[in-house]
Amino acid sequence: METDPRREQPTLLVVDDEERILSALRRTLRREGYQVITSESVYEALEILDTQPVDLILSDQKMPGMSGLQFLEEAAKRRPDAARMLITGWTEKIPAEKLEELGIRGLITKPWDDARLKEVLRQACDAVWPVVTARA
Amino acid sequence: MKQTDRSVRIVVAQPNTPVAGVDVRTALRRLGAGVELEVVGDAQTCIDLCAAGEVDLVVVDYTLAVHCERILKELRSAGPPVVVAIRDASDDVALDVFRRGASDCVAFGRDGEEVLAVVALEQIRRFRTVRDRGEAERRIRHLEQYNESIIQNMNSAMLVVDMDGRITFCNPPAGKILGEDPKALRGRAVWAWFSSDEEEVSLLARTLSSGVSYKGAERIVIRSDGTPVPVGISCSPFFDSAGEKIGAVTIFQDLTEVKQLQSQVLQTEKMASIGQLAAGVAHEINNPMGFIHANLFQMAEYLTDLRQVWGRVDDLLQVIPSGDLETIRAAGEELSELSREVDLAYVVSDFGKAIRESQEGSERIRHIVQDLRDFSHHDSSEHVLADVNQCLDSTATIVWPMMKQIVVLEKDYEDLQTVACYPMQIKQVFMNLLVNAYQSIEAKVGESGETGKVWLRTRQRDDGVVIEVTDTGVGIPASHIDRIFDPFFTTKKVGSGTGLGLSTSFSIVKRHGGSLTVDSKEGEGTTFRVFLPLERDEAELDGD
Repeated sequence: METDPRREQPTLLVVDDEERILSALRRTLRREGYQVITSESVYEALEILDTQPVDLILSDQKMPGMSGLQFLEEAAKRRPDAARMLITGWTEKIPAEKLEELGIRGLITKPWDDARLKEVLRQACDAVWPVVTARA
Repeated sequence: MKQTDRSVRIVVAQPNTPVAGVDVRTALRRLGAGVELEVVGDAQTCIDLCAAGEVDLVVVDYTLAVHCERILKELRSAGPPVVVAIRDASDDVALDVFRRGASDCVAFGRDGEEVLAVVALEQIRRFRTVRDRGEAERRIRHLEQYNESIIQNMNSAMLVVDMDGRITFCNPPAGKILGEDPKALRGRAVWAWFSSDEEEVSLLARTLSSGVSYKGAERIVIRSDGTPVPVGISCSPFFDSAGEKIGAVTIFQDLTEVKQLQSQVLQTEKMASIGQLAAGVAHEINNPMGFIHANLFQMAEYLTDLRQVWGRVDDLLQVIPSGDLETIRAAGEELSELSREVDLAYVVSDFGKAIRESQEGSERIRHIVQDLRDFSHHDSSEHVLADVNQCLDSTATIVWPMMKQIVVLEKDYEDLQTVACYPMQIKQVFMNLLVNAYQSIEAKVGESGETGKVWLRTRQRDDGVVIEVTDTGVGIPASHIDRIFDPFFTTKKVGSGTGLGLSTSFSIVKRHGGSLTVDSKEGEGTTFRVFLPLERDEAELDGD
């Protein structure tokens, strides 16, 4: 478990090749008490995981170069304790066993429901981030 | 049945034991080697031979009196001429023989042999003349009927026109296509139905003026009621026996049904490819939908914040007229406190950004839906001048979402002259080629995380434009390359291809007078090359 005493907020890494989606997610999660880092590239995101602590990872499924599942699998090797979640368009069917096998905590479909997204993140965060009081 | 080439065949009826002195056979041997003599001893055999046909003359020795009577009786109404040779001729006997139907009667005396030969030849000549003339007349009648029945009963329409374009002949199907009674068409100028093409001089007019033949061209004929009828048409000049051009003959078929079927097949194939694209397109719409949806919620929150701030501004405005500085300062502080709390500067700037991004997103959705609608439309019946680069690029836009995960797309477009074409059909060809390129790469890289490359290249040539779609996919095995344009040939698994994509593409390009060719190396990739000519008419010239 990452316990960096200097960090007051859990860090959320959001990966999507669509910049507008990142922008909208940042907006939605503005007051949720996360330090939000965004990346449009899976390769850049993997570098971020190598260089700084991350508690929550939310990734798009369909991206150039690597699927979200592949990315999360890679991410798990780098940050095994981070909670991993997947956002998909409704067209990709991802079997529940696959999610379980890869230890993915949440599946969110586009267009997402803000309240549900926040709820999924909050639950995941409760599981991995010990400082409950840090959130607004 | 060339009767005249056959040797002469004469049946000789004479007693089995010839009467001493002269006999008929010996006499007829003078006629030479070309004469075939059949000697019989009785009437029945003679009649049977004649019935079997190809007998030019019967010569009967009157010694066989009873047989002679019977032969004359049987052959009187039909059959070869009968000459009777009489040894002791008397007028009574000769008269009797003539009365019974003999063609001639020869007294078989001292000069008998000579006379008999001459008479025989003359009879044969007459018989053959009459028979051949009858035969020729029969054959001409037969030929006339034969031609007439072909022309009247053939499914194709046929018109013959003179040098002025006046109709000299017209069969029922032609009348049907032109919407007139065929009989009423004779003498009328054909241009009432055929002059519709103002840009392209009517093929018929060209055939009349220059004598050029055309075949398999597609044109529109205007029926008398004004309906345009698509026809497949061939024209040839028409010559008289002296080789002088006296008009033109044109044969054409109503293609209305064919066109309908063709368009149905195209539409089916197109819808199948749209089905393949649906997933990608849905994804492409989902993304902007996702952020527009989220932004709207956020903007509603921003508005709530702004309303609160406005409430404080209003409070401030209320107290200003009082002139009480303390009250004004307190209101001002509440305003700035709330502004800090809601992060007013951020809200104001991000509100604008959220609107701009959402506008851009909805514009993207509009664009995708527009492209998809354009793509699923039927073409108009007329070809139009189109920018092939634009056709290629808008098709790539539709296919892109499906391929982007595993494909790097490189575009290398040259400025192109516009081409007369059916743009929807051309887009469908591009769609098929792009989907193939994608599937070929998919088959190669699978889920490995690797990517493939697709190049889109366009080039201007003197005579047309060239469009190449190159992929780095699995390639096509040499054993398949000859069959890939065949209908229903597919190596894809059930559900991922109709087997009609390339064959449809091939026929679309062919109909545009162009060509679709392929270069492929198994394991390395494939290039499909489309050529579309600027000038379409050459392809329709006879003997292209």
